[in-house]
Amino acid sequence: MKNFLLFILLLGLGFSQSKVSIQDKEIEINENEAVVEVLGMVCSMCAFGIGEGFAKTDFIDKSKFTDGVSVDIDAQYVQLSLLESTNINPEKIVQVIEDAGYDVNLLFIHQNEKLTKFSKDKLGILQPIASNVSNKK
Amino acid sequence: MILRLFAIFFILLSSISAHPVIFKNGKVFWIAQNPSFNDIRFGISKTSNWLIGGRFLEDRKSNETFALINNNYLAKRWNNRNSQANLYLLSSAGMNTKNSEIMGNIGMHVDWEDRQFMVMQMLEYFSHNSSFVSNSRLAYSPYKVDYNRMSIWLIAHYSVEYQNEEYRHMFIPVIRLFKGNYLVELGSNGNNSFLTFMTHF
Repeated sequence: MKNFLLFILLLGLGFSQSKVSIQDKEIEINENEAVVEVLGMVCSMCAFGIGEGFAKTDFIDKSKFTDGVSVDIDAQYVQLSLLESTNINPEKIVQVIEDAGYDVNLLFIHQNEKLTKFSKDKLGILQPIASNVSNKK
Repeated sequence: MILRLFAIFFILLSSISAHPVIFKNGKVFWIAQNPSFNDIRFGISKTSNWLIGGRFLEDRKSNETFALINNNYLAKRWNNRNSQANLYLLSSAGMNTKNSEIMGNIGMHVDWEDRQFMVMQMLEYFSHNSSFVSNSRLAYSPYKVDYNRMSIWLIAHYSVEYQNEEYRHMFIPVIRLFKGNYLVELGSNGNNSFLTFMTHF
């Protein structure tokens, strides 16, 4: 019973940290942020197109990061600052990445105090696979 | 004239085309000079796998110039963790600016790259002189850089041109620099030089 309570306590601490992991890199994700693992993003010219795509959307908070977008080519992810008033549809994020010519492997969205992890199923449809995930691939 | 326009339209439809293709609604401006051609292009990616634009091509050996419509198609992209591979189909069609003769160019481009290595092979056919051109590249980046720093690539560029039952071979070492949305390539082997400037916006 003690072990079970300890497990619950540690799990709770994990949630409050709101960290996710992409390619073994831990990323802190705050409320109204998203983290996307992008497949094929191997150079800055690739990443430029992704930034341009998000700049034209209506759900990015451009006051954070660089116009609302932070790119890490080493770990192959993009971190987005989302407008507080927007209840983001994850498909919109995936569409921007695909319009730039790249693929999404994993997507994490932290909104309404809930961290949700999305992945594509075998049919290529984006599905939520876990909520309040923390530091798990 | 109408027949020529139909011919150009037919070539554009029948020969899917080219490189580069960029992000949806992105624009590319590209100047290239190599021992065979001076090449200026402007294009718009209508989707993430189709770019269409204008091209002004000068054959440096024959001094012929061509005004072309350039049509580039990304037939397949393999996006993987830390690497990417592409298959492009390329075409251009238009006219000789002096005598209005129709000119067409078709080609295929395949490449694979990760953060430090790149291999590329391109094959093209040019109708105005019935030549086939093969361009091959092996490239290495001595260090990985993040989004905001300049990337440097060292490229071994080898080209073979087949025309009138004769082959011409050429090797040029090239250095590629890019940062953000700007790319410059410079190369020389003493006898021939190579220059490219490209920007996306």
